[in-house]
Amino acid sequence: MAGYFEEMGWRELEDGEQPDHLLHMARFIFEFGFNEDFNAREWPKLPPPASQETVKNLPETTIESDGKSCPICLKKFNIGEKVTEMPCNHQYHTTCISIWLNTTNSCPFCRYELPTDDEVYEQFKRNKKRSEQKQEDLAVLHNSMFS
Amino acid sequence: MANIAAKRIKREFKEVMKSEEVAGGTIKLELVHDSWTELQGEIAGPPDTPYEGGTFLLEIKVPETYPFNPPKIRFMTKIWHPNVSSVTGAICLDILKDQWAAALTLRTVLLSIQALLSAAEPNDPQDAVVAKQYREDIQLFNLTARHWTNVYAGGPTAIWEFNQKVQVLLDMGIDEDQARVALSTFDWELERATEHLFS
Ligand SMILES: [Zn+2]
Ligand SMILES: [Zn+2]
Repeated sequence: MAGYFEEMGWRELEDGEQPDHLLHMARFIFEFGFNEDFNAREWPKLPPPASQETVKNLPETTIESDGKSCPICLKKFNIGEKVTEMPCNHQYHTTCISIWLNTTNSCPFCRYELPTDDEVYEQFKRNKKRSEQKQEDLAVLHNSMFS
Repeated sequence: MANIAAKRIKREFKEVMKSEEVAGGTIKLELVHDSWTELQGEIAGPPDTPYEGGTFLLEIKVPETYPFNPPKIRFMTKIWHPNVSSVTGAICLDILKDQWAAALTLRTVLLSIQALLSAAEPNDPQDAVVAKQYREDIQLFNLTARHWTNVYAGGPTAIWEFNQKVQVLLDMGIDEDQARVALSTFDWELERATEHLFS
């Protein structure tokens, strides 16, 4: 049995350790390919926080024009004010966006997603992308055969 | 109440008062007890729906952690809709749960609830009984929703047959809301509704 566990990248529970059923179920679904149905659905709760590394490395920019405000606290930015910019170019007060990204990983304005430190969620995203690609390939194939 | 929450609600409140929806009378927002933690929303039933002509009041509770967590909103006006509980007024809407984003505002949320009245999502129901009727007999659903709009939200269309049936149960000593829920649930079949109420 130990050989099988090792082969699957699993290990036996320590004395008194409880199994993480959700993680195991997710792995089971992902690794054995019973995932078509699971992937068709959305992540069933708020996605996890953005990875701390990514948040730390978000660039700081300076406000150059008048009239824009922070979408989180709705306060107007002053010209010359230093703000944090997301990869989607949306700008926020550094404190405002840090609190939000510590809750969930996407831009509050356009839902652009940052990477997370959550292994199961990242796997879910990869599988979802793969199944979308598969759908697309099937559609291309179908169209080439019937048009 | 946390500082950021109160400040943001104040800014939102000013913004919404200037909006064209408020000017056009399709949504309204009012403070309750001047506290910023509780507000009352109002939406007009959208045209070409069974809710047309009705005015629906919403209870809005703003959490300490707003806008990092969504406001808690429920219908105070009774409504017959697959995504709203016919008993508690609880709303099933993704942006009030796992699809909340801090850039959404009370204005955009009220508009989304109004849009939900135009386009129900019976596959993600809050009220299974209503959703079943919606899927299986859309005409009866529309009539029932119009009747509720008339009785609870000031809508223009009274449905004589339904009022008669409610009256029959009232004469038996049943509470009015209870009678209406039972009749609506059992597709306005008086016998089944009565049986249910007395079982
Ligand atoms: Zn801000
Ligand atoms: Zn963005």
